[in-house]
Amino acid sequence: MTDLILLKHELLLTALLLIFILMKLGKDISNSSFLKMSNALLLINFIIGFFGNQHGQMFASMFQTNELMALQKNMLNGGLLLISLSSSRWLNNHIHLPEFFMLIVATLLGMFFMISSNNLLVFYLALELATIPLAALCSFDLDKRQSSEAGMKMIMSSAFASGILLMGISLVYGVTGTLAFTEMSSLIASDHLTVFALILLFAGFAFKLSVVPFHLWTADVYEGSPVAVTSYLSVISKGAMVFVFTSVLYQVFKPMQEVMYQLIYIGAVLSMTIGNLFAMRQQNIKRFLAFSSIAQVGFILTGISGFSHTGAASATFFILVYVFSNMAAFAVAGIVSSAIGRETIDDYKGFYRTNPFLSWVLAIALFSLAGIPPTAGFFGKFFLLSAGAAKGNYVLITIAALNMIISLYYYLRIVRAMFMDKNETPIGSVNLSFNERAAIIICIAGILISGIWNGPFHTIHHSVTEAFSITPF
Amino acid sequence: MTLTVFYLLSALSVFSGLMVVLSRKAVHSVLYLVFCFFTIAGHYLMLNAQFLAAVHVIVYAGAIMVLFLFVIMMLNLNLAAEAQKTPWIKISAVILSGLMLLVLVASVKGAEELSAAQPQNDIGLVKNIGNILFDKYLLPFELISLLLLSAMVGAVLMGRKEPQPQNE
Repeated sequence: MTDLILLKHELLLTALLLIFILMKLGKDISNSSFLKMSNALLLINFIIGFFGNQHGQMFASMFQTNELMALQKNMLNGGLLLISLSSSRWLNNHIHLPEFFMLIVATLLGMFFMISSNNLLVFYLALELATIPLAALCSFDLDKRQSSEAGMKMIMSSAFASGILLMGISLVYGVTGTLAFTEMSSLIASDHLTVFALILLFAGFAFKLSVVPFHLWTADVYEGSPVAVTSYLSVISKGAMVFVFTSVLYQVFKPMQEVMYQLIYIGAVLSMTIGNLFAMRQQNIKRFLAFSSIAQVGFILTGISGFSHTGAASATFFILVYVFSNMAAFAVAGIVSSAIGRETIDDYKGFYRTNPFLSWVLAIALFSLAGIPPTAGFFGKFFLLSAGAAKGNYVLITIAALNMIISLYYYLRIVRAMFMDKNETPIGSVNLSFNERAAIIICIAGILISGIWNGPFHTIHHSVTEAFSITPF
Repeated sequence: MTLTVFYLLSALSVFSGLMVVLSRKAVHSVLYLVFCFFTIAGHYLMLNAQFLAAVHVIVYAGAIMVLFLFVIMMLNLNLAAEAQKTPWIKISAVILSGLMLLVLVASVKGAEELSAAQPQNDIGLVKNIGNILFDKYLLPFELISLLLLSAMVGAVLMGRKEPQPQNE
């Protein structure tokens, strides 16, 4: 079994899961030392992820991996490490710290298998593995009603989405007679039944990505969950779904590009517009970030709609940028929420007077999310839009550009509140621990470096995508 | 003979499935669902899948439905406690699901007929299922074990009211 190295990422995470269980069962460890150990383990896991990546297939070609998938998995690994670092204050005070890591590693494992799946059965199981523990994580603030409501909504809506997805899968199986992606793509013809199955599959994906007609669970779940879980949901979970979506779409449904394009077109326009319009009205910072993430998914869909290597590469690059930017924003929101317990946007008025460092971090993160030039967000969106423009549909690109302007308004509203508005009772000054500081600095460095010096990053993504994704159309 | 049994079982399972939805008392629904599971187990038997039939009866009709019954009895559901829905919600639900059915039927009707798979009479035997489960479908099988493990961790976490300090 020399090819076990193909399973490296997954085996490492399984080992981590077992280690966490053993640590929980063993002697009582104080939270702070548990946190130190788990951060070290996650760091090791992240570093090993970069070495010895190969491409190939395993398990009767139900599992496939290549350098692009390894890159995507490394990004997700890094994101998990950042979340663990930046929410160390909340984690430190939580009674069930080991369970948090068990569950979150299990979901990440599900996402890895999802990315690597080459078979609808494995894909579905991995999706469930990535979702069910996540619902438990949503209700992780066990004494808050809102949090259990979030968990309940999460499990209900994802069960519904899974139902739709399963119906799509069964129809696809009925039409093609196979579950393997590679065999499926050659057997798919665009008759009505396949189109219907495709729409059902798309709906299942759209639920998880919270594309607009299927976004109704997002805001409530994001608001109720603890901030660490919210950032995990909006960055890691969504990133993994985008990766899978791109590969399934480009690989399996290649013959049905036209139908798919219509679906993505509608989804992208609705997500951008409605996400932006609702984001303007939000008062709670987590709800605000939830709607902003819906709008960001619209931009990602715009890029994917290009159906090209550029589309896939830009989506991957954008997720990298998005990991850094959203993670920085959520880190600040999470630190403030767990130190002071305040979450509305009005509370951030006068934030600059008491916490200049954190306000600059939040400002840079929001600049990047809005797409203002020196930050990476600008290039992320620029690549996405130019990939989308390759298809020649300038209506979509115009709508996207208009939406970027709307989004500037509401992102800058928070910046104005922090720097200019006066507040009688501003948020008190917050002392940052080493972990939090490290996470924030990594995020900011990521935003600035991949923005100013983005050439190499984009080239890497481009060449890896070119080499391993998907034969050209 | 087989065909008669098949039609009988199918009619019974469709009937009990409808009654699950239509009965007004939750306990009746659950009992009809148990019955529905038994008829489906009968279908499995007719496909010569004894193992699947046995597991279906033990796990679904036995364990899971008994849990359902317990929960429903503990909640003490009655008609008054049922959530009231406005007529608009009912009408729009009927229209939407009717449209969904229409699209589904139309698209199935237009589809080409696939050639039926070769019947394999011994596919459902325990030995063959074991062979295929630990050979071709090893990865999904192992994935399920991880899924159950993490679901258990989550359920224990949420089900425990007061976190007790560990004694040992």
